[in-house]
Amino acid sequence: MIFSETTSVCPVCLKTLPAILRTAPDGVYMDKTCPEHGDFSALLWEGDFESYLAWPSGNESREVPINGRQTDLGCPYDCGLCNDHQSKGCCVLLELTHRCNLRCPVCFASAGDSTHTDVPLEEIRQQYAYLMAHGGPFNIQLSGGEPTMRDDLPDIIRLGRDMGFSFFQLNTNGLRLAHEEGYAARLKQAGLNTVFLQFDGVSDDVYEILRGRKLLAEKEKAIANCAAAGLGIVLVPVIAAGVNEHQVGDILRYALSHMPAVRGVHFQPLSYFGRCALPRPEKPITIPKMLRLMEEQTEGTFKTAHFTGGGAENPYCSFHATYRLLKDGSLKALSRHIPGNSGCCCHSSDESRLSVAEQWSGGEFNNNQESCCCGDPGLPAKESCCDGGSGISEDNSLFDTSSLDAFLEEARKTTFAVSGMVFMDAYNLDLARLRRCYICEVDSRFGMVPFCAYNLTGVDGRALYRSKV
Amino acid sequence: MPAEKNYYTIDPEGKLTCLKCKVPLVKGKAKFMYLDNGFPVELPVCPVCGFIYVPEELALGKVASVERALEDK
Repeated sequence: MIFSETTSVCPVCLKTLPAILRTAPDGVYMDKTCPEHGDFSALLWEGDFESYLAWPSGNESREVPINGRQTDLGCPYDCGLCNDHQSKGCCVLLELTHRCNLRCPVCFASAGDSTHTDVPLEEIRQQYAYLMAHGGPFNIQLSGGEPTMRDDLPDIIRLGRDMGFSFFQLNTNGLRLAHEEGYAARLKQAGLNTVFLQFDGVSDDVYEILRGRKLLAEKEKAIANCAAAGLGIVLVPVIAAGVNEHQVGDILRYALSHMPAVRGVHFQPLSYFGRCALPRPEKPITIPKMLRLMEEQTEGTFKTAHFTGGGAENPYCSFHATYRLLKDGSLKALSRHIPGNSGCCCHSSDESRLSVAEQWSGGEFNNNQESCCCGDPGLPAKESCCDGGSGISEDNSLFDTSSLDAFLEEARKTTFAVSGMVFMDAYNLDLARLRRCYICEVDSRFGMVPFCAYNLTGVDGRALYRSKV
Repeated sequence: MPAEKNYYTIDPEGKLTCLKCKVPLVKGKAKFMYLDNGFPVELPVCPVCGFIYVPEELALGKVASVERALEDK
């Protein structure tokens, strides 16, 4: 049964095509036909139609990009963001370098393939300024390539803080964090909040397939070093069918055993764009499959019913749930994310930006740009380590609210987030979803480009944005 | 933060005075209660009439955060 129409692209020539969404006994599919390259069908949702419809539809409100650009070619060919986009943006990736100290068989950024040089610091300054003029501050994801290849990474973080950004996330393989003594502390001191650590499994065979060599011991060392430095850690497993889907439960248990330094797990089902040595399976991992893997491999600790889709982005792009670790070691799903209860807590890019920052930061997240008097940018100016934590602007000697502080710190330490994002490739790209994308890549040639447009590649590897010079 | 003129004043140094009793607020014990949880705090109180000063920053900040946590939101 056809139940919806949308627009997609041909995986071969990347021209836009009308597409239909239809139900089938085993799930929901997207079908499209290119006059030149034939028929294409892609699985979107592995589950019955009732479960597809029951997935929370999220917030229907639309945002307008700040200072959006006029579009000539239309979506998805000249993003920037354009005025037809329906989100102002939440998280922005800065690809600081194309260099990498790994050569992963799968890499959406095709790191190491390019002869591009590192983005100069002055250009990064201009990118920060561009972002502030187009709806910032956003949560900044320092990415690449491998961003720790740059020795001036702490300077890049400090520059961003000086220019008004308050949350910095490092997307990294963790090698330098593992090997270089004091490096995690230097990044923390510069103002880094969170390490988004590539962590694909709990055994080395997984890393050999996805990353080209054994890495588990270095991942564990990186986690220990980040924890000691007070950096929040989010484990980020790429889940590939037939490779590590059997380790989903083990990854969750590993993360729980490393709380509170590990703030959560963010799953990324493998995306078939960029450099991808693995063939696209007939049934790639979709949201319901991902949720089933969690439930089956944790004896129901993480239940499908706990999860909901995003409220600020298209709900079929992501899933998330939040838990509290109780004193007896059990987990309690928090009501804010249980469908049918109060729904998702985030209905705008700004709400989502702050929610992510608060959950993933090491230590209390400070949205205030002022730093503590001790100079630690990770500490708030008024609720500092130096004034007894009163947090009050009038006569501090009259206040003692430490009981509230202690409760909030305990709540923060015992909160655990599980989330994931299902990126779109040329087979399942839905422009209706893309227009609500709030994760953007900043590129000085184009501006802010939605992630799944920026990384889109055809079957021959040709990209809409990344390969343009 | 604008002063609530009906209850207190703040001088340029941040000193708080009870407007009704014309005396400086002093540190005193108070307790926030919510959903069977109590949080003993010390806040500026009027030694004469017992007025407790709860700044907006505290009410909308930590107190609201505690409420959300207790509600599991």
